[in-house]
This record gives sequence, C-alpha cells and structure tokens, in this order.
Amino acid sequence: MKPRLAIAAACLLVAAAGAQQHWAYRPLLRPTPPAAASGFGDGPIDAFVAAKLAAAGLPPSPPADRAVWLRRAALDLRGLPPTPDELAAFLADDGPDAKARAADALMAGPAFGERWAQWWLDLARYADSQGYEKDDLRPTMWRWREWVIDAFAAGMPLDQFTVEQLAGDLLPGAGDEQRLATAFHRQTMTNTEGGTDDEEFRVAAVVDRVDTTMQVWMGSTLGCAQCHDHKYDPFSQREFFQLYAYFDQTEDRDRGDDEPKLLAPTAAQRAASARIAAELATLRPQLVAERRLALPATAPGVFAPEPAVVAVRDDGDVPLAPALAALRVRARALDAELAGWRGPAVPVLRELPPDRRRTTRIHRRGSFLDPGDAVQPALPAVFAAWGGDGAPAPTDRLGFARWLVSPNNPLTPRVLANRIWSELFGQGLVTTLEDFGVQGEPPSHPELLDWLACELRDGGWSLRAFLKQIVLSATYGQSSAQSAAHREHDPYNRLLARGAAFRLSAETLRDQALAVAGLLAPTVGGPSVMPPQPDGVWLQMYSGAHWHAAQGPDRYRRALYTFWRRTSPHPAMMVFDAQSREACVLRRARTNTPLQALVLWNDPQFREPAVALAALAHTAAAAEGDYAGIALLWRRCLCRRPSEGEGARLLELLADERAHLQAVPQQAEALVGAGREGAVALAPWTVLASVVMALDEFVTRR
Amino acid sequence: MNADRRGFLQGASSTLGALALRSLFGGDDGKRPPLAARAKNVIWLHMEGAPPTLDMFDRKPTLDRLHLQKCPDSFLQKERFAFIKGHPLLLGHQHGWIRGALGTEVCELFPHLAQQLGQCTLVRSMVTDQFNHAPAEHLLFAGAPRPGRPSFGAWASHGLGSENRDLPAFVVLLSGNLPSAGKALWASGFLPSVHQGVEFRAAGEPVLYLQDPAGYDRARRERALRAGVDLDAEALAAHGDPETAARIAQAELAFRMQLSVPEATDLASEPAEVHALYGTTPGQRSLANNCLLARRLVERGVRFVQLHDSGWDIHGTSPGDDLMTQFPAKAAQLDRPLAALLVDLQRRGLLDETLVVWGGEFGRTPMNEARDGSRFLGRDHHPHCFSMLLAGGGTKRGAVVGATDELGHRVTETPIHVHDLQATVLCLLGHDHEKLTYRFQGRDFRLTDVFGKVRRELMA
Repeated sequence: MKPRLAIAAACLLVAAAGAQQHWAYRPLLRPTPPAAASGFGDGPIDAFVAAKLAAAGLPPSPPADRAVWLRRAALDLRGLPPTPDELAAFLADDGPDAKARAADALMAGPAFGERWAQWWLDLARYADSQGYEKDDLRPTMWRWREWVIDAFAAGMPLDQFTVEQLAGDLLPGAGDEQRLATAFHRQTMTNTEGGTDDEEFRVAAVVDRVDTTMQVWMGSTLGCAQCHDHKYDPFSQREFFQLYAYFDQTEDRDRGDDEPKLLAPTAAQRAASARIAAELATLRPQLVAERRLALPATAPGVFAPEPAVVAVRDDGDVPLAPALAALRVRARALDAELAGWRGPAVPVLRELPPDRRRTTRIHRRGSFLDPGDAVQPALPAVFAAWGGDGAPAPTDRLGFARWLVSPNNPLTPRVLANRIWSELFGQGLVTTLEDFGVQGEPPSHPELLDWLACELRDGGWSLRAFLKQIVLSATYGQSSAQSAAHREHDPYNRLLARGAAFRLSAETLRDQALAVAGLLAPTVGGPSVMPPQPDGVWLQMYSGAHWHAAQGPDRYRRALYTFWRRTSPHPAMMVFDAQSREACVLRRARTNTPLQALVLWNDPQFREPAVALAALAHTAAAAEGDYAGIALLWRRCLCRRPSEGEGARLLELLADERAHLQAVPQQAEALVGAGREGAVALAPWTVLASVVMALDEFVTRR
Repeated sequence: MNADRRGFLQGASSTLGALALRSLFGGDDGKRPPLAARAKNVIWLHMEGAPPTLDMFDRKPTLDRLHLQKCPDSFLQKERFAFIKGHPLLLGHQHGWIRGALGTEVCELFPHLAQQLGQCTLVRSMVTDQFNHAPAEHLLFAGAPRPGRPSFGAWASHGLGSENRDLPAFVVLLSGNLPSAGKALWASGFLPSVHQGVEFRAAGEPVLYLQDPAGYDRARRERALRAGVDLDAEALAAHGDPETAARIAQAELAFRMQLSVPEATDLASEPAEVHALYGTTPGQRSLANNCLLARRLVERGVRFVQLHDSGWDIHGTSPGDDLMTQFPAKAAQLDRPLAALLVDLQRRGLLDETLVVWGGEFGRTPMNEARDGSRFLGRDHHPHCFSMLLAGGGTKRGAVVGATDELGHRVTETPIHVHDLQATVLCLLGHDHEKLTYRFQGRDFRLTDVFGKVRRELMA
C-alpha cells in the first residue's frame, strides 16, 4: 500500500471507530468552518454560529452599542468595568482595530491575572481554612493564590499551568515555584476533630483529588465509581482506584498541621532576605576580628559559619569592647529581621520515598476499612486507547499530568475551551460544564467546540489569545436584547442569536461597586483581608479566631482577597451564589433572590461605595448642574448616558429626597456619615447612588 | 417620563414580577405534593453533639447493676471509638426515673416533657453509620456523610414551595454555637439557592442586611424602591429579559420582608401566659425563644423550621460536658420549652399538620468514656442505637417503636436508619423519596442517596 493510501485507510478506521464512540471521546480534528454568512462576522466562530442560525431560521442580532461591548469585555476579561477615561478613549477611537486594541489593553494589567485567578479558585476549592468541624485557619494558602494570579498575569500556557499544579514537585529540577504550585491539591479539607481516624480523611482527600482532577480537566464525574462501577460512563470501580493510585503516594495524611509544607517567600521577602544576608555576611568577619581582639584566648573554631547569630555567643560576665557590643546588637537585630522574612509555609504535595510507598487497594463498596485487590496506577481503558503515538501509559503523577494535556487527549481541550467560553457567555456550548459523559448535555455547536478546542491546544495553550478570538467575534458582540421570537424559539439562547446577559458573580459585583466609586485598593496579591461583615457571623465551636473588619485600604480590596472560611464564608457573597468551597465547584448557580436586594441596599460593602460615588456625583452637579451629576452616575456605573425618561425619573427622586431631607437634616447626616460637611446637599445623592447600584443593569453584564 | 407611561410600566412590572416570583418560589400557594400529605410543615429540633438518650428514654436496669464493671469483650471487636481507649467500664444511669404519659419511663430531669409523651412517637431504635459529629450531621440532614448535598429543608422547599409570599420557605434558628457541620446543614447544595435555609438570628437583625441603614425611613426606602422598579421596568421594556422581571419581584419581596420578618420574630407581642408556658424572655438567644419562634413561623406558613441547640456532647471530660452537671443544665433548657411547643401546637390545632422531630445525630455508649483517666462521668459517640421523638404531622400519638438490648448497646427490634426517617418524613410531606430527585453531574440525586425505606410503624 502506498503511504498516502495508508493514511487514508487509517483515517477511515479512526472515523469508523469514532462513529461508535461517545462524541467527547472522539479524536480532536480541526473542523473546517462553513462559508461565512454575509452581514455577520467573518471569523470562524461567526461562521459556525451563523450556519446554525440559518438552519434554525433565526437571524443574528445587530451589534451591541460600542459602550456596551466595552463594559461587557472589561467585566469578562478583567472583572472590572471600564474607567470613564477608558470609555472616552474607546468611543473616540474609530480605527478598524479599536476593539482589538481595547481587548489587549484590558488583558494587559495584573487585574487580568486576578480575574482569572478568581475563576480558578472555585475549581481549586481554594479556602483559608481546613474545613470539617473545627475548620481551623490555613493562614498561608494565599501564597498559592498569588502563584495563580502571577501565572495568569504572566501568560503561563495552560498546559504548563496544569502540569505544575498537579505535579510540579516531580518535574526534573523542580524549583520552589513549581513546588508551590502543587498546593492546588492541598486545598483538600483536613479534619482535626477529636477522635477522627486520620486515614479515613486522608482517603477522603485523595478521592477528592481524583474527583477534582477528572472534573476540572476531563469533565468526567467519577465519584460514583468510588463505590461501584459507573452506571452510565465507561469507568469501573477498579479503574477509579487505578486513577486513585496516581495520587495515593504523597506524604500528607490529614495531619492537623497540614504537613508537609514548603517555605515559600514572596519575591519581596526573598529580596529582603538577600539584603539582610548580605549585610550579615559583611558583619561576620568584623565580629570575628573584634572578638579575637577582645578574647584572644578563645580557641579557634567556636564560631560556626552559619547562621551569623549562632556565632555570637553570649559570654555572660565577660566585659565587651563597645565596638563588639554594637556589632552584636546589629547582628541580633538583623537575624530577628531575617526570621520575619522567611515567608509563609504552604502545604504542598511531596511524594513518599520509595521505601515508604503505599500499596493502593480497591475499597470495596467505597469503604477504606474493607480493602480489596491491590492496583497499580493506570488510565481507564477508554482513555488509554488514545495513546496513538505509542507513548507508554503514565506511571506516576507527573506522567498523568502530562498525559492530561498531551496532544492525544481530546477531552481536556474540549472541556477547558468550553469552560472558558462559559465565562464569556454565561453558559457553555456544553451546558453541563462538569459532565462530558453520556449523561451530560451534548454540545449545541459540536464543530465550533472542536474548533475552539483546537485553537486552544494548537495555539500554545494561550488563554489571552483564545479570549481575544472570542471577544472580537460578531457572535460575542451582538446586542443582548430579546425579541418575542427569541423568547419563543430560544429562551435560553442556546443558538446564540443574541448576546449573552447574566448577573455578575458575587466577587465582580463587589469589585465593580468599589471601582465605580473610586475606592478600589490597587494592591495585588498578599494575605487574605477582612472587609466588613455582620457581627456574630463567625461563631465557631472551638476556634478563638475573630473577624476584625479592616479600617485601612484592605477594607476595599478585590473580593478574591476576602478571607474564605469554609464553614462561614462571607454571607453577602453567599447570597450571590458563592460556594463554601468544600469541594470543587464547576458551575455556580445564578439565583435571583430577595436577599440580594437587601445586600445591595444595606450591606456596608455597598453602602460605603454608594456614599463615595455620591460625593463624585455631587461635585459634578455642583459645578455643572444636577443633570451632570446624574450623567456621572450613569457613565461610571452603566457606561452610557441616561435616556430622557431615566434622567427625568432620577431628577424627580432627587427633588423628593431634597425636600424630605431639608425637613429632617439629622437624617442627612446619618446618610453620609457623622461630621461630614454639607450633609444636606450630599445626602440626596447617596440615595440616588444606592438606587443605581441596585439596578438590574448594574448587577447584570449585558 | 409621563404618568401614563409609568403607570403602564408599573402594571407591567408587577404582572411580570408575580409570574417570575411563582416560578422561583414555587407559587404563592405552594406546590401540591404528588401524594396525599399528612404534614404541611416540619419543626426539626436538633440537639447538637448528641444527647445521651439512653439516660433519657431507654432505662436499662442491667446497666445499673453492672455499673463500673468491664464491658463485654464483644463490645470492642471491630469497633472504632472516637475517644475510648483500652477496656472501658459500663456506666449506669446517674439520674432517677419518672413515669410519663402512657406509663413510659422518662428521666426525672424531664418532668414537663414526660407528660407530653402521649402526643409522641418515641423511637428507641434509631441507627446511623457515622460516629463523628460533622459526618453524622451531614448524613442526618443531607443524606450523605460529607458536605455538598442539599439539606432536608432545601429538598422540602424544592418539593413543596412556600406558603407565605412574604417569608422564606426554610428558616434556621440557632441557640448556642454553630453545629459541627456548619451551614451545610441548611445549604441548598446543587439545588437552586433560593431553597437554602435562611438563618433568623435571635439577637440583632433577624435576617442579615434586613434593616435599612441609618438615615432611611420606610418612606425613603419605598421611594428608592419605586425609582429602582421604574428604571428596571423601562430597561425591561427595552430588552425583554425575564430575569429583570424576576429581579423586580424579588426587590418588592425584600421590601415586604423588611416588615414581615420583624413582625414574625417579635416575641414580645406574645401574651404573658405564652411566655410563662415556654419560659421565654424576648431578646434572649435561647432554645425556649426559638421554640416559640418556630411556632410563630409555622403559623405563618414557613415550611421547614430547623432548630439547632448546642452543648449536648456529654463526654465527661469536665463539669462542662458531663452527666452530673452539664446534662441537667441542658435538660432544664429543653424540658419546658419542648413540652410547651407540643402543647401550644396542639391547642392551636397546628399539631395535625406540623411534624415535630427531636433528636441528635447519634447515640452515646453504655460505657464510661474516661478520656485520659477523667473522673467525670460521660459517654462516647455511639452510632448503633439512639432515641428520637416524633410528634404530629401524621405520626402515631403515644407509641413506642423499637427496642435495644439490656445494656442499650445494639438495636434488638425494628431498627430505623436515618435514611428511613428521611424517607418517612418525606412521605408524610406527600413525596416519594425515590421520586423527589434532582439531576446534577449526570446523576439523579435524592435526599436518601440510594437508601431508605418508608416506615409505616411510625405513621398513624
């Protein structure tokens, strides 16, 4: 057979096998986009979408207003709305590449890293506490969160991002940053309740690592195979424990102190340590010299070379020369300072040495007390068949991590592309983000999904490049207004005949409120912070930990820095569907409840921005008239001008409030905070600002 | 905006809002359950830490006779204890017994409750799988021993909706500390979060963020609400998104809750006779206050009221958790209010449609724990048998179900697993526990996992 024919025959074989196969497990081959439809975008994404729309007889929607597009893209790409300056600059830029330039700019800063870290924290079940009954604090986990922010901000390819988090410790020549990345799987809960069996909860943690890995990267829910063969998908209980075996060899074992840990100083801490060590290094010879002068009889060799402070022996009653005393004081101070710069000790994965490796056994009926056959690490048969290039099956955690993002794995790029898409459209092409098995929903646009998956995989796993393709598509840029035809034929917008509209996440809502009010603290990274929360929320059984609301800039940090205690996450965030992060959450619900209105009206986290925003509006109004104040509210919060009707309605409210507050000035003072100048003039604006910050349009990304 | 247009939009918004509200809250009148329901509401009193029900409702003369003798060797085989080490000694009852209604023997520390046993089904043969607090609580309230599943009340809200359009369907009341398993016990899990329990707090605001900030009076809040509704309605007219209609309806409900919740929680409005009955003092954070509040809430149509009272973990490591000091103190906090709740529901005609469930998450050992040689008396965790009380809502009146062996170590008659209890309570509410399911992660989940049987023995 000629080579060309052989390839063709192989393709036929693959196609024949594919016909039997579940769609998600088929080899990933780049589909050819259909011919572009006239009048819509000309990119591949739009071609796929337009073809489907034509078949359904629904026309695409016209483009959204440019300002709406900018707000949408800003909230999606960096989780913060456009500043008034950004908005003005964008509206003034009528060049053909204005949107591309804007997208690049929105993805340039650290805010991009924070926004995508925010996304990742749910998948990683990030928390600042151990979970279970006592839920003691994990005060150093923020250091791993910083690693994630940095990785996104620096544009780390998602395949490297994957391997470092799952098995960075096993990489040849692994550095501290790679080891730190493995804290991803140390987000599992630790049970320190008295009388619990550590092995039981170590097992629970390993099971969680298998579940989380398979859900996040493979969209496969294997949880039920822990106890019995999967009812629908092709996973046996034996195969579950073969996967489990990849994760069963780490040292951690539900210890209360979360060992093993890695000392992981930040860049700033490393720099400070280096500076101090350098000074100590210059000090040491002087100390030795001075000391020899003072105590010539001392035998040589008493001074250990490291660290310096050990070298400074306290000789009690021996009188010291003043020079030596000063040196000693300085050395001691430096040493104390050095200890302060050691950095946080972060729980990480560390593989057991060969002589202490565990024998992994099947847990009959899912019970670790009932061990069955011993198993070796191996891929489920349905996945093992993918190893087309003859590469050996992975035998350890590192091999498994590399296999997840290898070109032979069609599932990971499909799952990740779908999940990223859902962040920009409010739902995935496969709506069951967590389940690509036979019980999951099939994709609305199978070819588009495969094309996107190829883009992600073959585009160097670059998140920025992938996002840019999507936000520049006409599909993404459509108006989100709904027609009667939309509501009747496609209420859930599966066909994408309109732009997506969905309520902002708990975190983005809070960040947006701070940003439009000019209160947002710009600090990136660092330990978790405590913004205001109601008294008594942190009632805890054993712990003496308290919630002390920050008074300085930490009161106004982005919400991903808010301290996350599993048994008691911030209640306002929970009202907006944040999860407790006991396990990985692949898809948050998006509810619409009365408690949400109460938070927007009454939570200090929204009231304080309302007062700050009101001050800006009041200043504008004082200079250019009331309408200018209202226009400022609209521009900062909604990125547009008020309509005539909207302007009139707010002017009416403003007049009402002025009339009532004139009569009761003490209410005005209460609204703006005691002791503030011009309370009566400012207070009506706080009511207006609060109304705008609870508007559907403010809490929704349209 | 001219007056006619605004009037039109307001009309449109309230119609749309009402429609959206129905889909979110299961309708103004609740949903009709598929089966004939015996109970409309549930009040579940959870004694966090697990009360020594062996010493309350299950007298064992043999245990008294063998007091401080070594327990049989068989008790130690294949058994995991939370704290007991070595070969523990049996521990007899430390308090006397009185005869309650129907001649049932009850610990003398519960004289009021003893008189109400005629209203109750006393189950002496409860069984669970878990012997640590948090997993056992997850199992009891959410059907699986780890966090993540919807809680019982969330399932009830999902299956039955709300009966009061001004209050949530599922309310949680705490006295003492948070339960070990935390707020997962009233979480909605993967159900829509509208079903999660709303914690009404005993002190301060009854619902977080309910109260308007300083400077807002009711008129100002209403003006602000109206302006927001008008603006949202104009946007709705422009883009036609039904979520906006729902948001308008929810804002209006929030506005109504600002009045309805303080009204429902205003214990001071109860007459002195009621306070005397329950032993309540308005403004306190107590089990008594929560019992009275629970009655007021079911009266107003709240579907599921869940009370958690902490301090029942009677290990005997100090006077703070032993049988001689702490247990009588807890008994005094429970006895009168629980009896009063049953009396009060009965005389108001609410007991027929309200199911009251009382109990802990597991039982306690017949052996003295003696942790680290402690000289205080107490019992370790014991999943193999414990007692619970049921009353009203279609359960038997004045019945004892099940029995344990002569040392209170194992069930000998009619074991009732916690999954069976869940199946039975759902049945009383008119739902088949195998059919009330929710699809998540490719699987149909239900409260009873893959277990549970409806137990007719418990039903009238």
